[in-house]
Amino acid sequence: MYHKGECLYNLCCGHLHFFLVQPKPVHGVLAAAIVAACFAQGISTRNASPAPKEAPSGRPFPVSFSDAALEAGLRMRFTSGNEQSKKYILEANGTGVAFIDYDRDGRQDLFLVNGSRLEGFGAADAPTNHLYRNEGNGHFRDATREAGVVRSGWGSGVCTGDVDNDGFEDIYVTYWGKNALFRNYRHGKFIDIAAKSGVDGAGKDWSSGCTFLDYDRDGLLDLMVTSYAMFDRASTPAPGTGANCEWKGMPVFCGPRGLPFGKVTLYHNRGDGTFEDVSVKSGMRTVEGFYAFTAVAADYNGDGWIDVYIACDSTPSIFFRNNKDGTFSDIAAETGVAFNEHGFEQGGMGIAVGDFLNDGRLHILKTNFAGDYPNVYRNLGGGIFEDVVMKARLAVNPQYVGWGVGLVDLDNDGWKDVFQVNGHVYPELDAKNGPERYRNPRLVYRNLGSGVFEDVSTMSGPGVQEKKSSRGAAFGDFDNDGAIDVLIMNMGEAPSLLRNHLTSENHWLKIELEGTKSNRSAIGAIVQVEAGKLKQTDVVLSQSSYISHNDSRLHFGLGAGTAASSIRVQWPNGAAESFPGAPAGKCVKLVEGSGKTQIVPMPK
Amino acid sequence: MRLFFLLILCLLSAWAQDPAALSGQAEQFAREQRFDEAEKLWKQAIQISPGLFPALFNLGYFYYTQQKFAEAEPLLRRASQASRTDFNSRYLLGVALVNLGKSENALRAWQEALEIQPRNLRLMQVMSVEYSKGRYFGEAAALAKQALEIKGDDPNIYFLAIKAYQDAGDDYAAADIAHRAVERFPNSARANFEYAYHLQKRGKTAEAEQRLKAAMAADPLYEEPPFFYGNLLVEQGRNDEAVPYLEKAIKNRNDYIPARVVLARALMNQKKWTEAVSGLQETIALDPKHPQPHLLLSQVYFRLGQEEKARAEKEISLRLRRENPGILEAVQSRPFGAK
Repeated sequence: MYHKGECLYNLCCGHLHFFLVQPKPVHGVLAAAIVAACFAQGISTRNASPAPKEAPSGRPFPVSFSDAALEAGLRMRFTSGNEQSKKYILEANGTGVAFIDYDRDGRQDLFLVNGSRLEGFGAADAPTNHLYRNEGNGHFRDATREAGVVRSGWGSGVCTGDVDNDGFEDIYVTYWGKNALFRNYRHGKFIDIAAKSGVDGAGKDWSSGCTFLDYDRDGLLDLMVTSYAMFDRASTPAPGTGANCEWKGMPVFCGPRGLPFGKVTLYHNRGDGTFEDVSVKSGMRTVEGFYAFTAVAADYNGDGWIDVYIACDSTPSIFFRNNKDGTFSDIAAETGVAFNEHGFEQGGMGIAVGDFLNDGRLHILKTNFAGDYPNVYRNLGGGIFEDVVMKARLAVNPQYVGWGVGLVDLDNDGWKDVFQVNGHVYPELDAKNGPERYRNPRLVYRNLGSGVFEDVSTMSGPGVQEKKSSRGAAFGDFDNDGAIDVLIMNMGEAPSLLRNHLTSENHWLKIELEGTKSNRSAIGAIVQVEAGKLKQTDVVLSQSSYISHNDSRLHFGLGAGTAASSIRVQWPNGAAESFPGAPAGKCVKLVEGSGKTQIVPMPK
Repeated sequence: MRLFFLLILCLLSAWAQDPAALSGQAEQFAREQRFDEAEKLWKQAIQISPGLFPALFNLGYFYYTQQKFAEAEPLLRRASQASRTDFNSRYLLGVALVNLGKSENALRAWQEALEIQPRNLRLMQVMSVEYSKGRYFGEAAALAKQALEIKGDDPNIYFLAIKAYQDAGDDYAAADIAHRAVERFPNSARANFEYAYHLQKRGKTAEAEQRLKAAMAADPLYEEPPFFYGNLLVEQGRNDEAVPYLEKAIKNRNDYIPARVVLARALMNQKKWTEAVSGLQETIALDPKHPQPHLLLSQVYFRLGQEEKARAEKEISLRLRRENPGILEAVQSRPFGAK
């Protein structure tokens, strides 16, 4: 009998199960496929651990950032739902920020997109976007009301461009709801003409990214808008109610997976103040199944026509190649920029575009969700890419959710460095014992040349060490001192305005472009500057980083060079033009077709 | 005399109602393969005495052997409640629950079983695997570590612990165990391979390569070391050197898709398009549902200017991803009992 120790049917009790053991070793590209098939999850991650860091180069880094926001007078606070616990993903993605010289006084002003909260606000206290006018000497004045850009609601991204070629930059802002196109009527006044122009959107979308671009080379800026998801509070499940609503066992807001996908909309500028929705005609609407964020328009494949790369969250990213006939094809998978090198979908957030190799091509740096490396897509030519994140040594901090990012020359040595802002999406993590935190420091990587970077975050000043849950970031020189500063959106807090206290003898040159045949903002123009042995390339963008806009003046560090020997511009209409060199320490304006460089003032 | 017969009748009747006796008779029937009668008597015994352990266990076990897990579960559960010190009822209850898709409950039953036999290595191994399947990687690692402390001379327990710690994201612990494994079993191909993996992760590439070569020498038929070595060479841009190692891995295991994918990448990096296409087509024939070979094939066709074919392969790849969204995804760990 069993209870005397005997096993019934001569079976030794307990043996049946042991065939389950002896798992095979699994590593690298294979590792993910083991248990994953059983589990859907809300967001893409890889559980990647930090790649080993090389020994420090020992070279001094002459950059130190400190936060000048308070002394500059930036008193607004960002609102983005509840900062202790988030019920919906709507509260988590934050907003973009912009450097824009809206009054053309030579100083960079600031535009900050704001969000809301689920409970709503009374009409009088609803958070609004903010426009800060740069008054000089490091001071800003809140010009939101007088400029007419007050708008409350769940704001997302921002892009700028001169839609009517009147010489004044206009601002497009995306929302969960109707979008806004603030036309710049000069004299510091804007009017929202989105509805009148036909670019306000359906109202049900949660729009995120946007970019102005002249895709048909008619000299007028068209507009592309991405949406993250079709978000409806009533139909979105509560936190913890399924596999898409947990993070490492913790109940969190659901998504993005499980939410209805977003879409891409393309508006063609008719030139009469109105736009036509050409999303279907252009072929963009055929692409489906994504949660889109930042959209960056540039000529990636070097054929003279502007393309668009879009960072997508937990779905394949999109690369719209301009077919030169008013249509686009998504060739991200074919060209190697849809996934990482192992074919994994990623939580794509922000995009920096630039030539960090000084090889004349536009490369792409994309930030991703925590537990994953960024992508460093090296352009091999013809729009073919390979992910070189390991070679570039940028796989050393996968513990953060990366958002805004820039390829910018912080020390003016002629090589583009990397600045990245971070912040987790789940504030609930702060109540847990784990290593992940909602607020994180920023990251700075110095370009050592030859496509290799070094993490110098701890050497880059207190502004980099500040822990915030940041999203948007814009790069520009607000004090016109020849060093790139950073404007940052922080969830539930005031913005950071990181001033770059650069103590280097390196020289620099800024270039401002004005299209005549091309769009006046010269969005999409690619500039090559030669100075000594350095040959650098940069591009004018309407949106980059994380749904943000950078200073439109292109900034080139010249190292020891005291002048640029030559400047070449590929204008957005495809024409190339050469300009004479220019002295260092100046901002020069290049007008399309003029062949001349013109020094423009840079007031402090 | 009449009184005597009456007494006998009463005794017989009482015996017939004695649940222990009924259970014993049922076991006898079971031994004689008279299962219908046995089942009836066990049920009768349980009806009379709902907490009778032998009847509960044996009937539960009877259903279990017939793979009637839904019927077995309540009986084994009651059996485990009837005997606070019984290991087998808890163990079998766990297996039944796993078969019913109730893994968390199964693990709870096994946790109780482990309290009764805290040094039961095989149970630890089973639980560690089940914890991993449920993404309770932290618990899996802790258990594997416990097993390792009990029995340090079984390489399989080392390997289980290495994997568990890797899954749990504790690479340092995994690397430490891998180091101990290779010191304890220096001629083990697997131990050398595991340690090489962790050396490479720490940037000690030269040492990793040495370990991989040792692993390949120790077991020339083991597919992992040549695959990993080949992959390492591809990451270093040494594509032509990588090819023979990747081919060796595939020779050792023909359906090894990751090795085939990396081989295709090595060939693409060398612009050996024809070989890449043929290798990828072969891979697709072996595993038509894996999206990655189609993706790479799409990239090859695109580079060859064959955009229609490239698009077609891409569409297949995207469709396969949609059909099996977890196939190229790393999953998150979670604590046991998390909701």
